[in-house]
Amino acid sequence: MGLLTSIRTSITDVTDRLFSDGEPKRIGIYGPPNAGKTTLSNRIARDWTGDAIGPESHIPHETRRARRKENVEIKRNGNTVTIDIVDTPGVTTKVDYQEFLEFDIEEEDAIRRSREATEGVAEAMHWLREDIDGVIYVLDSAEDPFTQVNTMLIGIIESRDIPVLIFANKIDLEDSSVQRISNAFPQHETVPLSALEGKNMDEVYDKIAEYFG
Amino acid sequence: MPHECTNCGRTFPDGSKKMLSGCPDCGGNKFQFSPARSASSESATLDGPQAGSETGDPSAAGEVPPGGASTERVDGSSASRRDDGVTGGPEGSDRDDSESSESVREWVSRKADQNDHRVDTSDFAEWPDSARRPEDRASADGDSDPDRSTTRAKMVDDENSAQADARTSVVSDGLPTGTVEGTTDAARTDDDPASADEDDYPPEHGRVVSEPTGDRPSIDELRAELNEQFESIKIVRPGEYELNLMELYNREEYIISLQEDGRYVIDVPDSWRESDN
Repeated sequence: MGLLTSIRTSITDVTDRLFSDGEPKRIGIYGPPNAGKTTLSNRIARDWTGDAIGPESHIPHETRRARRKENVEIKRNGNTVTIDIVDTPGVTTKVDYQEFLEFDIEEEDAIRRSREATEGVAEAMHWLREDIDGVIYVLDSAEDPFTQVNTMLIGIIESRDIPVLIFANKIDLEDSSVQRISNAFPQHETVPLSALEGKNMDEVYDKIAEYFG
Repeated sequence: MPHECTNCGRTFPDGSKKMLSGCPDCGGNKFQFSPARSASSESATLDGPQAGSETGDPSAAGEVPPGGASTERVDGSSASRRDDGVTGGPEGSDRDDSESSESVREWVSRKADQNDHRVDTSDFAEWPDSARRPEDRASADGDSDPDRSTTRAKMVDDENSAQADARTSVVSDGLPTGTVEGTTDAARTDDDPASADEDDYPPEHGRVVSEPTGDRPSIDELRAELNEQFESIKIVRPGEYELNLMELYNREEYIISLQEDGRYVIDVPDSWRESDN
């Protein structure tokens, strides 16, 4: 099913490109696993369309296929910005099924999840190359941002010369440090938020309209 | 008197030629030189002639006890050896020569050992944890070269053997175990395999930096690992994957699904576009 869905999505993407220039920009929501990408995507989608994009979970790699919510209209200061939100699987350089075993998942299911998560990373990287017009890079502000994955992905995004916003998520956590993220990527604007609790969402939408409108 | 026959005790004045071909009385050819006593003897002579001073009677020296000679030796040889060697005749002379040359050999051996130790401790004042310390190397030499001690005993010219031994011991410590290395581990990892062969020979001015450990991967293993890292997705085992993000980003085709045998199911976007047209 996932394979057929992906093929259909690709065909749809191609036809969209061929016949509709000036369509909404595709904004990819990227970041490492468990940063809160799907929670943020659902928050944005619910706020402006009433629908969610996908299931949220504390288990890493819950999102193993990219999901898209089209024509999300965000109204700011009398203007309307229309974007397509692409929620992508968490990007990592290593996937091990044993990390799923900690969440009481059977070994066979954990191995399957691991394979799907790996496919999801490949898909996310493919989308970044082919179909993304702007990036919202989501980080868990309670975690160390100086990682190989973050550095590499930010570097790739910068090489594409597309607009990028860095969201310091989970500011509701006690160990949160927005400053640590700002220091890690001083060349980009960092927006603090809690997608789970809806904190600072006004500034989030302001920045989305400013950067991707 | 400065010279005294150690056999019969006859004394001779300094510069006397009577002792050149051995003691005229007993034929002994070992003499001891004692300037202090000669001074006292001379002073005694000045005070008054001492009867029997030329007679060879040890007691004629007056204040010098019979056993006092052993405490006044200044030539460096031991008293016991002198006492044992006092046999008189040509045999005693030969033995005396051999004993004196033996003391030279021992001295050279000591110097060689000291030099060996000095090189180890002063040149390598700071020892890395992985390098063997001099005391360990000394014990290893004993195990690895059991013939060395017997060879040393059989060598006629032990001064040369001691020097040669000192030289070879320094070099041979590094050769069999490969402890002599001219480069650091970090520099070695990028070297060609040919350079690894060169490491079998000690560099001219090399010094012991570290001893190779058994768990260090070979050049081929490192190269294979590097090659593997250029793959987009490495299947370590079912359910465990390593991903090369840059390679995944750069490749044209789109990996849709993974097979456990390492095969990919891919989608080439251009082909879809062409077929769609």
